[in-house]
Amino acid sequence: MQHRFIPSRFLKLALLVPALAATFIIAACSPQHPQSTFGYAGPVARDQGELFLFIFWIAVFVFIVVEGAIIYAAIRYRKRDEKIPKQVHGNTKLEITWTIVPSIVIAIIAVPTIIGIWEQQRGAPTDQGDILEVEAIGHRWWFEFRYPNQEVVTANEMHVPVGRPVNIKLTSQDVIHSFWVPKLAGKVDMVPLNDNLIWFIAEEPGIYDGQCAEFCGIAHAHMRFRVIAHPEEDFQNWIAGMRTPPEPFEAGSSAQQGQTLFATHCKTCHTDDSWRQDAYSLEIQQQDSRWATWLADIEDSRIVSAPNMTNYSQRHFLGAGIKENSRENLIRWITDPNDIKIGTSMQDHAAVYQERADNKANLSPQEIENIADYLLALKPGDISQIVAPLITGGTPEERGEQLFISIGCNACHSLDADTTIVGPSLVGIADRAGTRTSLSADDYLRQSINDPGAYIVDGFTNSMVVPKIPPDQVNDLIAYITTLE
Amino acid sequence: MRLPRIFPRPTSEHGIWSWVSTVDHKRIGTLYAVTSFLWFLVGGVEALLMRLQLSQADSTLIDPETFNQLFTMHGTTMVFLVVMPLSAAFFNWLVPLQIGARDVAFPRLNALSYWIFLFGSLFLNFSWVVGDAPNGGWFGYAPNSHVAYNPTDGMTYWVIGLNILGVASIAAGLNFIVTILNMRAPGMTLTKMPVFTWMTFVTSVLIVLALPVLTVALIQLQVDRLYGTNFYNSAAGGDPVLWQHVFWLFGHPEVYILILPAMGIVSEILPVFSRKPLFGYSFLVFAGVAIGFMGWFVWSHHMFTVGLGPAANSAFAISTMAIAIPTGVKIFNWLGTMWGGSIRFSTAMLFAISFIAMFTIGGLSGVMHASVPTDAQQQDTYFVVAHFHYVLFGGAIMAIFGGIYFWWPKATGYMLSEGWGKANWLIMLIGFNLQFAPQHWLGLDGMPRRVFTYAENMGWENTNMYASAGGFLMALGVLLFIINVFYSARKRVPAGDDPWDGRTLEWTMSSPPPHYNFATIPVVEHRDDFWFKKYPETIAEYYHDDHAGELTAPSGAQFDDDVDMAEDEHAEAHASDHHGDDDHGHGDIHLPDMSYYPFILALGLTIVGAGLMTIIPVIIIGTIVLLWGLIGWSMEPVNDPAPDGAAHGH
Repeated sequence: MQHRFIPSRFLKLALLVPALAATFIIAACSPQHPQSTFGYAGPVARDQGELFLFIFWIAVFVFIVVEGAIIYAAIRYRKRDEKIPKQVHGNTKLEITWTIVPSIVIAIIAVPTIIGIWEQQRGAPTDQGDILEVEAIGHRWWFEFRYPNQEVVTANEMHVPVGRPVNIKLTSQDVIHSFWVPKLAGKVDMVPLNDNLIWFIAEEPGIYDGQCAEFCGIAHAHMRFRVIAHPEEDFQNWIAGMRTPPEPFEAGSSAQQGQTLFATHCKTCHTDDSWRQDAYSLEIQQQDSRWATWLADIEDSRIVSAPNMTNYSQRHFLGAGIKENSRENLIRWITDPNDIKIGTSMQDHAAVYQERADNKANLSPQEIENIADYLLALKPGDISQIVAPLITGGTPEERGEQLFISIGCNACHSLDADTTIVGPSLVGIADRAGTRTSLSADDYLRQSINDPGAYIVDGFTNSMVVPKIPPDQVNDLIAYITTLE
Repeated sequence: MRLPRIFPRPTSEHGIWSWVSTVDHKRIGTLYAVTSFLWFLVGGVEALLMRLQLSQADSTLIDPETFNQLFTMHGTTMVFLVVMPLSAAFFNWLVPLQIGARDVAFPRLNALSYWIFLFGSLFLNFSWVVGDAPNGGWFGYAPNSHVAYNPTDGMTYWVIGLNILGVASIAAGLNFIVTILNMRAPGMTLTKMPVFTWMTFVTSVLIVLALPVLTVALIQLQVDRLYGTNFYNSAAGGDPVLWQHVFWLFGHPEVYILILPAMGIVSEILPVFSRKPLFGYSFLVFAGVAIGFMGWFVWSHHMFTVGLGPAANSAFAISTMAIAIPTGVKIFNWLGTMWGGSIRFSTAMLFAISFIAMFTIGGLSGVMHASVPTDAQQQDTYFVVAHFHYVLFGGAIMAIFGGIYFWWPKATGYMLSEGWGKANWLIMLIGFNLQFAPQHWLGLDGMPRRVFTYAENMGWENTNMYASAGGFLMALGVLLFIINVFYSARKRVPAGDDPWDGRTLEWTMSSPPPHYNFATIPVVEHRDDFWFKKYPETIAEYYHDDHAGELTAPSGAQFDDDVDMAEDEHAEAHASDHHGDDDHGHGDIHLPDMSYYPFILALGLTIVGAGLMTIIPVIIIGTIVLLWGLIGWSMEPVNDPAPDGAAHGH
């Protein structure tokens, strides 16, 4: 033999190359990237990522053994002379070995796999705080988010509290989509007629990128969304804000003109006032009927399912998470959605786009700016600066009830003993109030209305804002509230 | 009874009509190879266009609709118009040569398969010409493929095109099952069959069982699209998940339809260039059969994120992981074949070794997404794209290129240049890995599949750029192959009968083989029969080991079972019992007659398919052509009727 073959040196090399490659893989999957599956921000993504790494290292080992053996055999047994090698035809012991050993390896991988499947698919854990229930609905090509217990509906940006499990019911109105926020949890599909469940806990506040992961048509690549995780108090404020009307617009302002234009051209499909009483169930009905209208006349329908625009100015992005929500982008978007995102149903169906041959909005630039200004003015009003409307006539209880609704107490305080919207339910408060502080029920309620932070009920945070209410009317309100049973 | 010759059979042996009317398995194999190689180039260009678009963030080079058409047609083309028919080219060329037969069992049916494949593939790609190429993905998920969401004609072309192609595949599958079971040379028991033939057999069984499943799904989708039924229309209560179950019940066996022939090819190349018999023949064959069987119990691993529930997901996770075991057995046996051999690094061998290396990577990533929680992050991302390209390009295409280099001299009579060949191999291997290795981490970095673009801040741009560069390097590799073909055709270095010191029957005959293949049907005594006839001194050491009881050196056809006895008679009937006239100039060798009717029948079928795009007169014309083909087929006589009037089923 002319060249001595030294296996140990060769094996070192064989080990080094894949080890380098592996390091590169880990480094390349930079966790800071917006959709890195290694940028865990919650237990579900972490479990999935760690299981991946566990299998990955086993795979690296097998890779080194097999690829090393290939290279070793290729070099060691290269042709050196004309001698015919021994015509071996097999070896049963070897065959049994390399059947059983991989079976054991597979079993080792199977155990954590099965455990993971059951943990991740049985729903959110019940022992880690109150579960937030959300419904996510896929539409071509945007996401709708409904909060049934808070009666809040929004689109493309899902707000969640940090540290609490979020249980999301997934479904789709049209084709199959997939709900995927890599840093929070692996994807689960949104399948029409087949409700699915996904849960996660966001451990850190932040904005997490999500994207539809099932091919759903022409704008699939542009169907993105965000999950915005807030500290609990900010989350409650967000919910309260979603139930709070905007401040009235100044007569003659751009936003006020935009409001009129919006009502004429957009509002049939885009609800912009889901802060109203009963708006939640109404929006669900309307979204269904928009959908049915489109289905009945797919080609020419002037009505389609569309994102809810309540508090639109709070959105970070437009076009289902693809562009920053700036005035400039919004104007571009309203003018010609296709310029930013292909295939929007709005442009294909809404009358205001169908009236023009080039499918741009049939509005003057000024009108488009008005609409943009209106949308960017949609934010919860500062209730504390509003003076409660004067209500006269009737009994104190009747005046109190009218006031309760007109200033929006019912947005957060449920009139059903078993439902919590944001604040505690007020049913039976007359009996409970006296037990909380040394004050009488009436005085306790007066204190809570005038200074909401004075006493906080266990399990709630103070996010209550109240308009300016004259003392007489506070008495009316108390008279009404104490009748709730 | 003799029929009047109102349907005379063509006899010309040269020119275009001889190709149109050929029933020779070798010529049909060549037709398959050339056609599917051209589609390979088309599918490759589709891939390159996508890579161009993705090499930069927010690129507007290719519009989204075209991009969706490109990935739909790339997948459909590579699966149905490239890997399957390229495998069919090998089946056609090799199976009769390896089993010592003069043709396949049903030569006209064989020609019919090819022509249906050709017309079906043209029909499918005609959609590009009219500007409505299919755009719903090669998996055609409902309800996105429903006419409400996809009103252009693209998916209708796809549905009808695939159904036409399915007819070709099923007919070919049946043909090879019958051929392999009935037409083996005397002495070639199932346990002496070359492994490529074995894998052809398993693949054919899978084709015959799996393609009808697809056909059912496609017909349902077709009537949904054309006639307003609601099988998969969720808006009317149809279940979109059912489509996925049916599609993948076909789709997963399909994966093995694509890879098993490649495994067969590699199992032929490795022993020849290691100068050793295939290690663990019975285990390797059994593993192939086991994969073909278990391939039916894993389809839902394509649906782990669909919401089938933890019980179903657990079951399919385990069955999917289990299929890695027979796959591993194959890999170890190939390694065992190289081990202790005397390895010559011909281009064919380099491709075969690369197959093992690349396929192993695809197998390992396959185990990763068999683990459902892991798959939740990987499903529908570039990680999956990387995985199946390691299996289908690093696996199937690498093996097919190896097979081309290996059998080219046999088919043409001259060698392919080894110099160009090695350049071809090296560039392709580097380009392939540069393209697809980075896609693993693109997927782990959150990049979904089937997106026509991505935003700049996602961190995917550099990685995509490498991948695109790799794609073009791969294309260069393919270009080197084409150069090699032309270069070698000019050089014409004669191959001789047995250029590689081969082991199986095809190397016993001249290169290219005569029209009739075997002047006398060989009698087989051993696996690797040709090798042991060349080197009888090595017989003893082959049979001397712990399998001695099972595999004592046989003499003649002592292991023949009933089926094999019947085959012997069949083979002898071919070889000697038949004393017809001498049309072909090969003495008493009976060969099937040529026929135009497979061509006509295939044409009629395709016209009917085209007519289903709701053009009634075209359906009528197509039906007439179809009937003409059918009636002509059944009425045409044999040119050399046997003296006893016996029908030979050709």
